[in-house]
Amino acid sequence: MKRTVYSLLVVIMALAACRPSNKITRMDPGTTTDLSGRWNDTDARLVSEEMIGDALTHPWLNQFSRENQKPPTVIVGTVRNESMEHIDTEVITKEMERAFVNSGSVNLVASAAEREEIRAERLDQQEYASFETTKKMAQELGADFMLIGNINSIVDESADSRTLAVFYTVNLELINVETNQKVWIGNKKIKKLVERRNYRG
Amino acid sequence: MKLGSDRSTNLAGYFLLLFLFGSTGCHSYMLDDAQFELRDSMTSMNYDESRELLNELESKNIYRKKDQVLWNLENGMIYHFTGDYDSSTVFFSEAENEIDEAYTKSVSRGVVSLFSNDNKLAYDGEPYEDIYLNAFKALNFIHQGDWDGALVETRRMSYKMENLDIRIKGLADAFARQDTNNLADWTPGKLNVQNSAMSHYLATILYAKSGDVDDSRIEFMKLQTALNEQAEAFGYPSIDTRSLQYLQNPNAYNLLITGFTGQAPIKVQEDVRFFDETTLNRYVKLSFPRIELYPTEVYRVHVLINDKEPLSLKLIEEMDRVAKSVYEAKKPVIYARTLARALVKATGTGLIKKATEDESRALRTAVSVLSFLYKETSEKADLRGWQTMPGQAWMEVVKLQPGVHTIRLEYLNDYDQIMYFEEFEVVIDDRTELELIESMYPR
Repeated sequence: MKRTVYSLLVVIMALAACRPSNKITRMDPGTTTDLSGRWNDTDARLVSEEMIGDALTHPWLNQFSRENQKPPTVIVGTVRNESMEHIDTEVITKEMERAFVNSGSVNLVASAAEREEIRAERLDQQEYASFETTKKMAQELGADFMLIGNINSIVDESADSRTLAVFYTVNLELINVETNQKVWIGNKKIKKLVERRNYRG
Repeated sequence: MKLGSDRSTNLAGYFLLLFLFGSTGCHSYMLDDAQFELRDSMTSMNYDESRELLNELESKNIYRKKDQVLWNLENGMIYHFTGDYDSSTVFFSEAENEIDEAYTKSVSRGVVSLFSNDNKLAYDGEPYEDIYLNAFKALNFIHQGDWDGALVETRRMSYKMENLDIRIKGLADAFARQDTNNLADWTPGKLNVQNSAMSHYLATILYAKSGDVDDSRIEFMKLQTALNEQAEAFGYPSIDTRSLQYLQNPNAYNLLITGFTGQAPIKVQEDVRFFDETTLNRYVKLSFPRIELYPTEVYRVHVLINDKEPLSLKLIEEMDRVAKSVYEAKKPVIYARTLARALVKATGTGLIKKATEDESRALRTAVSVLSFLYKETSEKADLRGWQTMPGQAWMEVVKLQPGVHTIRLEYLNDYDQIMYFEEFEVVIDDRTELELIESMYPR
């Protein structure tokens, strides 16, 4: 009888120990965390780092500054997601904007969506703000270059779906707004092999 | 203890094995009834009521963890038609991820999945369900003005369609590897449809509107292929796809009108019984899931814009027929699995009978009756499926001038009688690029 009671207790304790619990750990945003194999923050960071370094060290920047005696004004346009995953491309474009501004060698103007909001505010000021503080109309800085791009992906999957190869390619282009001349093209490729070994059968 | 040294232990062992491999609780019958109830509720087009019913069924534990894919599919569709597109996308995405995981599990689970009763396994979704959930996610994104998001979904649809035969073959190969005794033939059926016209239709207009002329042209070519493929597979007259060229011109339209009719095909059980006189005198019962089209009353869908001359929506995809066609390709695998499982059960009950040969006549009779009852009741086809999926997709694009417009969709039967109509008010301004109105008549 005693043995039965002890055995039952052990089973109950074992079951209690198996109860799922949430554990949350704060970690360095630079840490690589590949959980699902899908596009993630690490991929966005890798792309941004490489693209920023590349864009700011190419001759277009110095050439423009030398010829015009002023830094170029850049607008970041749309990076289209042409992959099979939902990717927030704003993570990349915001990183690019931050790098451009912080470099001090490029002027950056607000994007199309941001401009709408600012224009509405400026229009509002014309009616409601004091004369001294009202901002003038038609004083916007016109961009010299526009950054646009796209993200593509190719997926190759084994028949049993346990091995998956995903190839991402990110293209960014800086285009002269006046002449349509492409002054810089950046490309970053990421290839991932996802092996789903841990499926419980 | 050595197996076979004790007859009663042996007998108990055989029964236990049979129970593990074949038992079907009454839960699966309750789920079948619940599915009918949900289908009826959708027919009444009171989607809030359908949502309440679904919640009630979950609270009664009729939709269980193993039926999570279904639960998410049904919710995704109901939320879609109540206009809660964010929630709908979340449910569909959950279903998509679970289908993906369940597929990988089912091909890697080993011999257990070969002999387990399907109803006891996690529902891994039919391939057509996995494809069409992306169509409704795409529509969710169009409603929200996120064309890039919608295009992601159409790409996923195309990818899944193109890989359908590989996926079905992968499943068949996995079972064939586990069937070491060669109990059944695991060759999948021929796949007649490998393109979704609906996905290419949506992609053509979305690329055109995004200014991707080349991608729009490529998608249009695929749309032509898909429409011809469906015409051939389902015996229609060939469609003059050249008349759809305007889809590539983004200035030719600013409103997409979509009408869904009918309901998803329904799975029914088909029983086959035979007596195998070889070896163990086995009585075998097989229960196959067969798929049947759910009849629709609708023959045409008309649109009246501001009460003017009606124009017809085009029948872009017969989702129910595509679903049936895709299911037919997978059917030999389902049948082979049913056969293999039934043979194992019959062998098991045969062994039990053999083990009781020297027992009293009463025990032998009892075992015989129990074996028969066990085979009759434990063999049940898996009839689970996405109930709220529509049967047909009708579409057309039109160009409206700025202003407020009344759009009336009329669903007509074979005698041109209006079975149902729905009216919408659409506001178009100079900046409207693509509005979407969507209607459903699930009969």
